Order: sequence, then structure tokens, then C-alpha cells
Amino acid sequence: MHDGAAGVTAAGAAASGPWYAMLIPILPLAGFVLCALCAVFRVRSKLPAWITVGLLAASFAVTAAMYSTVQGTQITTVFQWITWSWGSGPGQSFTANFAFYLDGLTCLWMLFVTGLATLIALYASEYMSHEAGAGYCRFFAAFCLFVFSMACLVMADNLVLLYLGWEGVGLCSYLLIGYFYKKPSAVAAAKKAFIVNRIGDLFLALGIMLCFVHFGTVEYKEMFAQAAVYTKAVSAGEIEKVPLVAQLIAVLLMIGAFGKSAQLPLYVWLPDAMEGPTPVSALIHAATMVTAGVFLIARTYPLFLISEYAMPTVAWVGALTALLAATIGMAQFDIKRIMAYSTVSQLGYMFAGLGVLTSVGAAAHVFTHAVFKAMLFLACGAVMHGFAGQLDLRKLSGVGSMPGWRIVNVAMLVGSLNLIGFPVITAGYWSKDTILGEAFANPSMQGVAWILLLTAGLTAYYTFRVYFRVFVGPQSYEPGEELHAQHDDKHQGHADHGHAHDQHAHGEKSGASHGTHDFHPHPPGWAINTVLVILTIAAFAAFWPIKGTSHPSHLGYIGQMMDASSAAYDPHHDAAMYQFAAHKPAPGEPRSHATFFGFDAHKAMMWVSGFVALIGMAIAYFLHYAGRTSATHSRADSWLPAAGPLANWAKHKWYVDEFYDFLIRKPLLVLAHLFHIIDQYLVDGIVDALGWLPKGIGRLIRPSQSGELHGYAFGMAGGLAVILLIVFLVTN
Amino acid sequence: MLYSVAKLVPTVAQADAALDSRPPLLLPMLVVVPLATALLIAAAPAARARTIALLGTLVALVGALAAMLVFRWGEPGFQLACEFSWLSHLGINLSMAVDSVALMLVALTALLGPICVQASATAITDRVKTYYAWLLILQAAMTGVFIARDLVLFYICFEFTLVPMFILISLYGSTNRKKAAIKFFLYTFTGSVIALAGLVYVAWFNSHLSPAVINAVGAELWQTFPKLGKWTFDIATLEQAAQLMSGRQQAWVLLALLAGFAVKVPLFPVHTWLPLAHTEAPTAGSVILAGVLLKLGTYAIFRFCLPFCPVAVVEYAPLIGVLCVIGILYGGLICWVQTDVKKLVAYSSVAHLGFCILGLFALNHAGISGSILYMINHGLSTGALFLLIGMIYERYHTRSMKELGGLAARMPVWATFMVFFTMASVGLPGLNGFVSEFLCLLGAFQASTAWGSATGITAEGALDQGLWGSAGAAVPGATPGNLGPWFAAIAGIGMIVAAMYLLYMVGRIVWGPLVEPKGHDHAHDGDSAHSALPVDLCGREVGVLIPLAVLCIALGVYPKPALDALSEPVKSVVMTVNAARSTVEPSAMTTAAKEEAAQ
Repeated sequence: MHDGAAGVTAAGAAASGPWYAMLIPILPLAGFVLCALCAVFRVRSKLPAWITVGLLAASFAVTAAMYSTVQGTQITTVFQWITWSWGSGPGQSFTANFAFYLDGLTCLWMLFVTGLATLIALYASEYMSHEAGAGYCRFFAAFCLFVFSMACLVMADNLVLLYLGWEGVGLCSYLLIGYFYKKPSAVAAAKKAFIVNRIGDLFLALGIMLCFVHFGTVEYKEMFAQAAVYTKAVSAGEIEKVPLVAQLIAVLLMIGAFGKSAQLPLYVWLPDAMEGPTPVSALIHAATMVTAGVFLIARTYPLFLISEYAMPTVAWVGALTALLAATIGMAQFDIKRIMAYSTVSQLGYMFAGLGVLTSVGAAAHVFTHAVFKAMLFLACGAVMHGFAGQLDLRKLSGVGSMPGWRIVNVAMLVGSLNLIGFPVITAGYWSKDTILGEAFANPSMQGVAWILLLTAGLTAYYTFRVYFRVFVGPQSYEPGEELHAQHDDKHQGHADHGHAHDQHAHGEKSGASHGTHDFHPHPPGWAINTVLVILTIAAFAAFWPIKGTSHPSHLGYIGQMMDASSAAYDPHHDAAMYQFAAHKPAPGEPRSHATFFGFDAHKAMMWVSGFVALIGMAIAYFLHYAGRTSATHSRADSWLPAAGPLANWAKHKWYVDEFYDFLIRKPLLVLAHLFHIIDQYLVDGIVDALGWLPKGIGRLIRPSQSGELHGYAFGMAGGLAVILLIVFLVTN
Repeated sequence: MLYSVAKLVPTVAQADAALDSRPPLLLPMLVVVPLATALLIAAAPAARARTIALLGTLVALVGALAAMLVFRWGEPGFQLACEFSWLSHLGINLSMAVDSVALMLVALTALLGPICVQASATAITDRVKTYYAWLLILQAAMTGVFIARDLVLFYICFEFTLVPMFILISLYGSTNRKKAAIKFFLYTFTGSVIALAGLVYVAWFNSHLSPAVINAVGAELWQTFPKLGKWTFDIATLEQAAQLMSGRQQAWVLLALLAGFAVKVPLFPVHTWLPLAHTEAPTAGSVILAGVLLKLGTYAIFRFCLPFCPVAVVEYAPLIGVLCVIGILYGGLICWVQTDVKKLVAYSSVAHLGFCILGLFALNHAGISGSILYMINHGLSTGALFLLIGMIYERYHTRSMKELGGLAARMPVWATFMVFFTMASVGLPGLNGFVSEFLCLLGAFQASTAWGSATGITAEGALDQGLWGSAGAAVPGATPGNLGPWFAAIAGIGMIVAAMYLLYMVGRIVWGPLVEPKGHDHAHDGDSAHSALPVDLCGREVGVLIPLAVLCIALGVYPKPALDALSEPVKSVVMTVNAARSTVEPSAMTTAAKEEAAQ
């Protein structure tokens, strides 16, 4: 299996890639097997965590090696999967190998996937320590399986292998959301995530089939080569020459991407997914898996560039999702859910970025978001871990100034500044700014641009609402009770915590602003702090790959990586594509820029977006920090009635879940019951009625119906004999 | 057996078989060994019954593996042929041979044999000898169906499977077993009698073919099929003859055959015997029912309906496709509201087999290959689910999801397997179910003349084409057919529904707070029937599940050998159908069909 040269069948332009690229998925897979074996042998130590951290770090090292050697597009074939042919003509073979497509896009994604996975595994080794035993093994086994699946998704050289990774990460997400499987809400959330994702998956599968029908292949290399013909037509301003079938492929893939990346209308599963342990939320539901939809579109960008409707739809859906999720996030009290809605919102930015044709900006935002959002989740997780599951921002205050919480505080602050795009010093500013600038520069995307700008302000408000309430201000806390139930269940996990809070904290929750006097929050240990420090540094360092080289029009190293990938897009060469959604330009018409009130959109946005972020932050300061004396109340409470019912609707998530339940789930349930009744009484009833007919006649000749089994057997043999006799007589 | 004692003289079936150095009696052995074991069990003491049954099934399994080993997988046609002269004056012979499709199903049958014996160890404590003897006879009959190359032999085996199954259900089933057994027997028996009429009609048609008609088609046919126009039940000959029937005759024959085979599959709306039979059957009975008995129907449709009446099949494919799609969604939704977990899995077979038949009637390479793989895969994953539910039933004596819940806390090993096989059933890529489900849907998706032709105009020229890229544009992945993308899309909703009901099941009985039936207490369990069973699975039970799990992974990760092996038989069926297509719809015939027909 390690003999790469033997399996390589790459033909044509793409050179064969380095054999060791296959180690990137294989190492996590080995981790999965080893963790499973730990479970079989009932390991009770932290061994599974160290296996995971070690193998994922090795996988990261291999990824770095791959990044430094791979030039252009290379393909490494491991073995033939669903591959066989039944003729030599076109469309008479199906090729979906276990093969990896190595280009800049692959490198970028795998670098942050394996890098963050390593760090989060280290964090989880401490976070999950009270689960030592079977649960610990189960957690890390699923964790490793997730990284394997994600690697398959990202590195696949064909759409079917991508689909394997796609559903594989869905399975791991299901298993990890439902990690606390005794909790009905966790089980329900896991189920919801899987099923909503499956809706997207169906469209993705149909898109793959359409790809095969139209192009006769599901391999990217072949597909892109054939799509190049259409690209030429679009460049010449003749989009009507691209058959509708080819355009439809992108639309189907797009809906699949909406499912995985939690965009309208399929975003409802992601906030519920916060039922999982926080490291899972950080890795899967913030940094990596949910960006798979962005990845899919970036990977199949050539197909989207030839689709008249897909690209604008991506932009609009992204923008509207960004806005909707931000409004919901403003009205939530659970800090983890606020972060979840923020993730949905930021994913909207990335889709909008793809839609306004800055695949580089989208990729840069994926990268920076992965780092700072993972950090935000891990900081929230540290709080949750330390305060026995408390996540309500009305019950925590001034955590940052408590002893032992300084690193968490800094991490949270840096993460928040990145998220809102605090001007110049944060990486998040540069990536978000690129998307905004490109949106305003696109004459047909002005609506999208304004929505995104408004959302930037809302983002700043809800982000610092959390920070100003939980991390600064007067010290006050109330422990949560979620983890208590678990702690009571698993006493052995408490030896290393050294806090005697779990026995008493329960009954005495009433009144006192300090919660219960026996409860002491326990600040994070070395593993959590180390990870937070590394990520804080990384969040600043993320500035470097974006701005590190002075590429004329692109974003540094990330721009170079995207240029050397399937998501490459040259606005000068493909001038007409730039605006095909708005109008059909004459061939050769130069690229036209929209302006922001007469200013160059890109330059204007550097000022405007930063300014908007500061306004949002200032409002949050005024409403949630200035003059606040307790955890529960702030100035916002007295301003809330001014918003009328809107605030309440936003708090109830605009009743989207209820709407889906009423419109889809309930009718389906009624239909299912109806079918069940029809099946019992109508479909089967007819059969019974028919069966009664001979029975009635049978009463007349009852003696022959003994009811004994050999009677039936005899009757059958006799019947056969009679038939054969007739045959015999006929032939002779 | 019926008139006279068969003259058991092996004769050489084909000229080249004489040169074949492979053991000629391998296939008959696969039938004889289980039968002999059954006799042995009847003679031996009850205490030894299970051991003998296990040995017998293991020998049969080794035989099946040997057959797979000596089989030449890449070659077209039937192999390992073996023929005993029987009622030759009636054209009836004990003629046996397998192609790769049949051999795979034989192997599945042989694999499930020892698994069923082992799974019954603690479940069956009463009338043990009868049980194992009939189990073995059932295996012999099922194997006979797959290896038969003579219509009468096929039909006898096909019908004879009913008797052991009837006994297994009616003697060893649950509360409502009598009704279930009788319904199962009468329903499927009635259908098969009609199918017999269709098969006999084909034989009659062949015997009345005038030489002039055959010569008009091609005189060289006489050389390969000397029995053409004479009274015979040789399947290969009848296949040739049946294709000479008019479209109208073929339609009637198709209807008759489907009356028997569709009930067996079961296809909506003739499926209602299945949930009842499954629910009431003992665990091993359910495993065999889902694993092999349903596949008798799908196999028979592949073996007889498609090549015997290709013209009618082409014409009626959309109609059957609609029934499949209805079955997928209707069956799936009914699963979702079940409270009896076994009934849920039983109804899921209706939905799953809908995919299988849809792929078959896509009538193209991807669809039929996927369909055949589906037969194997469904046997593995659904069989395993029935085993797992049986293990629960043995411990708790209930299958109601209201009384059971959160068993992961009590039985982690069982829960692991349950989630694994659920995922195989849901069609998770990397496991077996995905490959077959995807190919079935892909086949249906491709099979539309509306796509345009697979060859002809260059990609450059395609730019000038409008909607759907049809009318001369190159659409390399399209195949002739009349199902198309809508069939795949609507059937694909079944993928979502499958996730809904299977995760509902897992969410109820595996996850969530622990719920056990009232009065059930592990600590003071005095019931002797299951005092032998530990709380979680014992080694025997894990041993039963492991081979199935390994195959699920193997067929999911590396399906290529199976797909390659299926290539030849599928190719010949597709060619037959496409040749017929050209007679039905010459105007709509595409370039691809013309090419394949010309080959």
C-alpha cells in the first residue's frame, strides 16, 4: 500500500504526486484503529489522547512537506475504488479511485485541518479527562476518523471520493454531537444534523450523477479539461452556448454545499450541534467540517464559472445567511450558541466571497476564521469546563480578571477582535475586507455588499456583547449543572480536579450573586492554556500568509496557493465572466469596477469596514459594559422594548425550526401514519379478502384440507405432477 | 422424484467442459452436503444436532469458497457445468452451472448457513432436530435455485424453499406465527404458480417454433442451441427462443413472471406478507428471509424477465420504475412510524429492494451491476440487523421500542455493531451499501433517451446545443432507456427517509436514557432460558457478526473485483435488451445502442 509508484496511473497533464501524500489520511486512520483497540482492551489512561495528538502532528508534518514540494497539480493514486469498464467507448467506464488531487487548495485546507486538529486534540486531552475509559477512547476514535474523512474530502481527485469524505465527516459529526448519548437533547441534535445534511447530500449525489452523464467522468482533471471549452464561450460573452445541463451541475453541487456549510435554508442543524463536547464544536462545527461547502465550490470553481445562476445564488444566499444568523446571534444568551450563529454568519461571508468572484478572499477568510473561531470556542469551552457547564452570559461576569483566567481572557479578546475585523492589526480584518471590497467593486452585487457591511456591524455588536458581559466587569458567577450530573455519574474523573464542589453545589443555587459558596471555578490546566497561547500567536501570525508577499492583486501566500489550484480565477483574462450575471457585455469589453460613492471600492472598504466594526463595538460597550454592576442586568435591558417584537422573534430564532416542523416534519409524520394504515387495511386487506375467497369455497371440500404441513407439501408436489403430466401429454 | 428414479449418470454438458480439469461435482455437492447433513441430523441425537449442522454448513461454505477459487472470473458464460440425465424424454435434466452472479449469491447463501446455525444456539431449545434439519434443507433448496440451468429444476427448488420456511416460521416463530406462516406460504405460492405458467408457456413456444423462423434469425443458432424448436427446459435455449416472441407475447410472459417474482422480492404493492413473516419468524428465519429468500425474486427477475422478454421489459420499465419509487418512499415512511423494531427493519426491506429493482430496470451497466451488488449487500447488512435484534429479543423478550432504550449504556459492544450495521444500511460511503445504492441510482439517472447520444458530435459542437444538451450533442454518460433523472431524484429522497427511520431506531434503542422492560433485572435473573447469556454480547455472538462486518467493509472499500466479475453477465443482458430496444423504438434509438447492438 505504501508503494506509491505501483499504483500511480495518473495520465495526461497532471504529474504524479509524492507517495507520502497518502500518509496524510492514513495516519489519522491508524489513530482510529488504535483508539478502537484501546477501547477493546479497556485502556483507562490518557493513551488514546497521546496517540491521537502524535499521529495528527505527524500528519501535519507530512502536509507541510507536501506543501513544500508539490508544484502545480499532482495526483497520487492509492488504489482503484469504484472503477471498472464495460467497453472502450465514451461513458463505458466509471472511474472513482482512491486518489488524491494535490494542488494549492488541497495544501491550504489540509494545513489548517491537520494543524488545528492536532492542537484541539491536545486541548481535548485535558477537557475530556473526566471521561477517562471507554468514553475517552470513543471520543478520540471518532476524532481521528473525522480527520481521516476530512482528508479524503479535501484531497479527493474525484467527486465520489469527495462524497465519501463528505458523508464520513457527517457520520463523525453525528457520533460526536451525540457523544453524551444519555442526554435526549444531544441525541436529537445529532439526528437532526445527520438528516438535514443528508438533504444536501442528495443534491450533491445528483450533481455527481449529472456530472457523469454530461462529462462522462467524475474525475476533476477530466471534468475541468472538458469544462474549459465552456469557459472559453463564457469569456467570449456567449453564456447561452453552455448547455443548461452543464449549468445545472453547479446548482446541484451548490445545494449540497449549503447543507454541509449550514447556509439557508439548511442551516438549522448547526446551532443544535453545540450539544457536542466543545473541542468538537471548535474543530468540526467551526473550523473545518463546515467549511467543506466552501471547499466544494472552490474545488469545482470551473463549473460554477460557467453557470449563469449558480454564482449569483451563492452570493445572495451567503449574504442573507450572514445577516439572518447575525440577528439571531444578537439575541441569544448561551455563549456557545452565539458562537455557533456567528459561525453560520461567517460561513455566509465565505459563500458571498465565492459568489462575488474572490475565491482568494473566501479562502483567506476560511483560513483566518478557522484559527480565531477555534480559539473562541476553546476559550468558551474553558469557561464552560471551569464553571461546571455554565454558558449563560447573564450568569457569568468578570471571568477575565479572576485568578488563573488571564490566558483565556487574552485568547477571547484576540479572537473577538479578529472576528469583528478590528482594523489593521488583525488577520480577520484583511480577509473580511477583501470580500467586502470585492463585493462593492462588483456592479451586479451592490445589494450583497450592503448586506455584508451591515452584518459586519452586527457581528461586532454580538461578539463584544459576549466579551463585555462575561470577561470584564464585576466578578460574579453561578455554576451550571449540566456537567454536575455527569460528574456525579463518573466520580473517578474527579481525583485530579481537586474540587469538592460536586457534592454540594446542587441544592443551593438560589439567590446569592456568587452562586454557591462551596463552588470554586477551576481555571484551565497546562494543556488548555498551551493550546490557547499557540492559537493566540497563530491568530496574529495568520496576518503573514495573507500579507506576507507583495503579490500585485492577491493575498500573499494564500493568493499564490489559490492561483495554483482549481479555484484560480483571473479577472483580467476572464473579463466577461465578471459580470455575466448582470448583463451580457460585448466581447472584449473591459472589466468595469463599481465604486463606493465615487471612491475605489477596495480602498474605501479598508476605512469603512473598520469604522463599522468600531461602531458595533462601541454600542456593545455602551449597552453591556458601561455602568453594569451585576451579571444579570445591563443597560440593554431597558433599551430592549424599543425594538418591539423583533427582539423576541430573534430570540426565538425567527421561528424557523417551528416553521420547518409545521411545514415538513408534521405533514410527513401524518403521511407516514396514513401509509401505515393504508398498508394494513387496504393493501393487505385486499389480499386477505382474496385469501378468504378460496377459504369459503374450501369449506365445501374441507376433508382435503387437513391443515397438516405434509398435506401442503403433498399438494404442491401433486400440482407439479399434474402440470408435468399435461406437458408430457402435449408433447407426445 | 416424481415419476421415476432419476438416472444419475453425469454427462458432459459442453464440448469444452471435457477439457475442464476442474472438479465437476462441485456444484451438486453444494446441494447434496446440506441435504445429507439434514438426514444425519434426523438420525443423530438432539444434543448433537447443532454441532452436525454447523459442520455441514461449514463444509458447504468451504465448497462454495472452492467454487469461487476455481471459477474463472473474467470469462463470459456459465462455468462449472454439470448435468445429470433425468427425464430427458421430457427435456428435463438436472443441469447445473453458474455465472458470476449466481456464484456470488451461492456464496452468500453458504456464508449465512453457519451464521444462522450459530445464531440459533440459545434461541432454539425446543424440537432442535426438526429445526436444524429444515434449516439445512432450506439452504440446499436456495442453492439449487441459483445453480439451476434447467427450468424445472429451478422451479422445484424455487417452490421447495417455501416448505422449510413455512415450518421454521410456524413452529419456531413468535405469537402470531401461524397466520404469518400461512400468509407467507399462500401468497408467494399463488404468485409462483402464475410464474410457472409463464415459464411453461415459453417452453411450449419453443417447442412450436418452426425451423423456418429460426433459420430466418440465423442458422448458426442451431449449432449453439441444438434443442431450439424441440421440447426442452434448458434455460439457455429457452432464452434464445423467448426473444423470438412477439412484443405482445413477451408482455404476457413478463406479467406472469412478475406475478411470481415480484411477490418474492417483494415489490410494492405485493409486499404485505413480508412484514408479518419477518416479524414472526425466528431470528435465523428472518436472516435467511432477508438475506437470500428475497434475492430469489430479484435473481429470477435478472435471470428470466430481462433476457426472456426484453422487448416487454423495455416497454414496461417506467411502470416498474414507478412501483419501485413508490415502494422506496412508502415503505420508508412506514418504517418511520413503527414501534416494533423488527417490523421496522422488515419494512425497510421493501424500501431497499425498491432501489435494487430500480437499478435492474435501468437496463444499463451501472444500474444492473449496482442491483446485483445490492442483492449481496442487503443480505449482509439487513441480515446483521436481524441478528442484532434477535440478540436483544433473547435478552429482553420484547422488540418494542417503547420498552427498550439507551442500550448503549448496558451493552456497548452490541451498540457498536448496531451503529455500524445501521450505517451500512443507510448507505454510508466506505461501507458496502453505498456502492450498490449509488450505482442503482446512477443507472436510473443515466437511462434516458432525452439526454442525447453518447457519441457523435465533438465537445466543441456541443456548445451550439440548447436545453439538456440533447439532439446530437455529446453526452458521454447517457444510456438509452426511459427512466431518467426524475426517477433517480425521487428515489433518492429514499436516502433521506432511510436516514430518518434508521436514526430514529438507533436514537431510540441505542442512545438516550436507559430503558428496560418492567420486571427485567439483570442482577437477579432467574430465567434459565437466558441465564446462559451475559449482559453484553458473548464470544459466539460477536463471532457471528464479525464476518458480516468484515465483508461490509471489504465490499465498501474494494468493490472492484466484484464489479469486474459482474461485467460479463451484465454486458450480455444489456446487449440483449439494447438489441430488443432497436426493434421497439428505432426512431428513438441512440448511437450507443446501435453500436452495442452491432457488436
